[in-house]
Amino acid sequence: MTSPAGTKPATPYSILIVEDHPLVAKFYRMALERAGGFNCLVTESVAEMLPAVEAGRVHLAILDVSLSGTEWEGRNIDGLELAHLLRAHSPAKLPILLATAHAMSGDRERLLTASGADDYLEKPIYDARYLVEKVLRLLTGNASARQAGNPSPSDPNRASF
Amino acid sequence: VETFIEEMKRYLGFTEGDAALLQMLGPRLEKYLPEMAERFYSQIPFHSNAFRVFTGGEAQISRLKQTLQRWAGGLFSGVYDQAYAEERFQIGYRHVRIGLEQKYVISAMGIVRSFFNDCLLQEVPQMEERLPLAGALGKILDIDLNLMCESYMRATVQNLRSLNEQMERANRQLAEAGHSKDQFLAHISHELRTPLNSILGFSKLILDGLCPNPEEERQLLRDVFASAQHLLGLVNDILDIGRIEAGKLSLQSDEVSLRAILDSTLPLVAIQAAERNLSLIDATAGVALPVVRADEVRLRQVLLNLLSNAVKFTNFGSVTVRALPNEEPEGESGAASPPLIRVEVEDTGIGVPPEKRESVFQKFFQADPSYSRRLGGTGLGLAISRSLVELMGGTIGLQDGKDGRGTLVWFTVPLASHKPSQNPIAITQSAQRRTVRAEQ
Repeated sequence: MTSPAGTKPATPYSILIVEDHPLVAKFYRMALERAGGFNCLVTESVAEMLPAVEAGRVHLAILDVSLSGTEWEGRNIDGLELAHLLRAHSPAKLPILLATAHAMSGDRERLLTASGADDYLEKPIYDARYLVEKVLRLLTGNASARQAGNPSPSDPNRASF
Repeated sequence: VETFIEEMKRYLGFTEGDAALLQMLGPRLEKYLPEMAERFYSQIPFHSNAFRVFTGGEAQISRLKQTLQRWAGGLFSGVYDQAYAEERFQIGYRHVRIGLEQKYVISAMGIVRSFFNDCLLQEVPQMEERLPLAGALGKILDIDLNLMCESYMRATVQNLRSLNEQMERANRQLAEAGHSKDQFLAHISHELRTPLNSILGFSKLILDGLCPNPEEERQLLRDVFASAQHLLGLVNDILDIGRIEAGKLSLQSDEVSLRAILDSTLPLVAIQAAERNLSLIDATAGVALPVVRADEVRLRQVLLNLLSNAVKFTNFGSVTVRALPNEEPEGESGAASPPLIRVEVEDTGIGVPPEKRESVFQKFFQADPSYSRRLGGTGLGLAISRSLVELMGGTIGLQDGKDGRGTLVWFTVPLASHKPSQNPIAITQSAQRRTVRAEQ
């Protein structure tokens, strides 16, 4: 386990959560804040998330695939399109974790390829610590995420909302 | 066929002279035709397959014998034109259609040939005279056999082709059905995982001690409970859809009081309506409503579904339920079907755009998914309601509210006893309106 229950490591990473189901979004936020000590930006609005991404204030994005309230250039876009959009606007390569209830065989490869996301989580996602571990692993870009849980002070991406 | 018979004639060297010879021969062999037909059909017992075809008994066989005699008579007609060829060409088609195998016909034709040769021997003992006659007879029998075999072949190819088309069509349908089944499964899987995420996620947060604040914990438990209720609704709806699609949903056909249905269903949405400051109006209050023929539980389910939709998608104003005699004729067969009563649920809510009015009755279609996400709902309610209404003998539809705002969903249900002279209900403009109050 990354940290004992209830404690919050001083991790300044900021996670963008794009999820159209309010209760699921609430769970991600609570899990990431409480088990990982992350900052969270929960929004479905591109106008709201894009400035944060452009300014390098987002270190990782968790995107739902089926989005109902996310629009870009006057039309609805899904998490796959949003992944490309965020990447295009991010100063550094933005780690993206797809979180989706599309869990039929073949979905994983299809969705990863279509979005260019780094990893994929299948709903139900309910273990806060597992989610935090997964996120940390992507943030530090290696398998020894548990040891590298905190970014060094010189990390250029170090910022918070 | 014309060119085919010409080719055959050339190939066999069939001449005008042959035709003339056969015409001379005809009257001499006429008396043998009944016996020829007897022998032809005496072959049937040797072809077990033929028994499957000749199922018409003696009557059929005797009809066939006469046809055969006519056919043999044609051999000596001397006119071997298009009509002659067409008629003989059709025989193969008919045989293929009834499943009579070609080998039966070929061997039976062999019998005819040897029988005619015997007759010839008897009738024309002089060899010099007999040989040219036998030659001409042989040629015309060959032409006939070839015509028949050719038509067998073409009919078989045609059959194979249409069989192939049928199979391709069936294949396509299967693939489509499989695809929509896959989509349905994917959709169900998706829909089930979403509430599960909240149920498992929030309870695990509490169990892991990540939610130390008791007030917050209570709120999470409320979220868990709401998600579990949503999940239960989904499971019930999916089971209903499954039963409906498997044709295994059996409905009662009871005499049900529409009044009782309305009175027991309205209170179920009254609390939600009150919470949203909507007036819930029963436009039929105080009016005698007829008895309908329906499944009581399912009728209530349909009404509840329409009422909850109306409350869910209305932010201000009212939800009104009313019942009135169905005025629109029910299709062409309207005369034979029992009279219907029409129940309407009208709201002053967000409405459904015209292009989505048919789709909302499809499984998992939600006119505005973002709305539904927030408000809950399975996307199956209207699909189920439509099936239920239709199973009870009515129809369902959706239109604009009366003054162009909101939505009006109506359905019809058959009256229990129908006496055409009697007006099922009379609701006048002055009919008492009653606002249903939430009993809290």
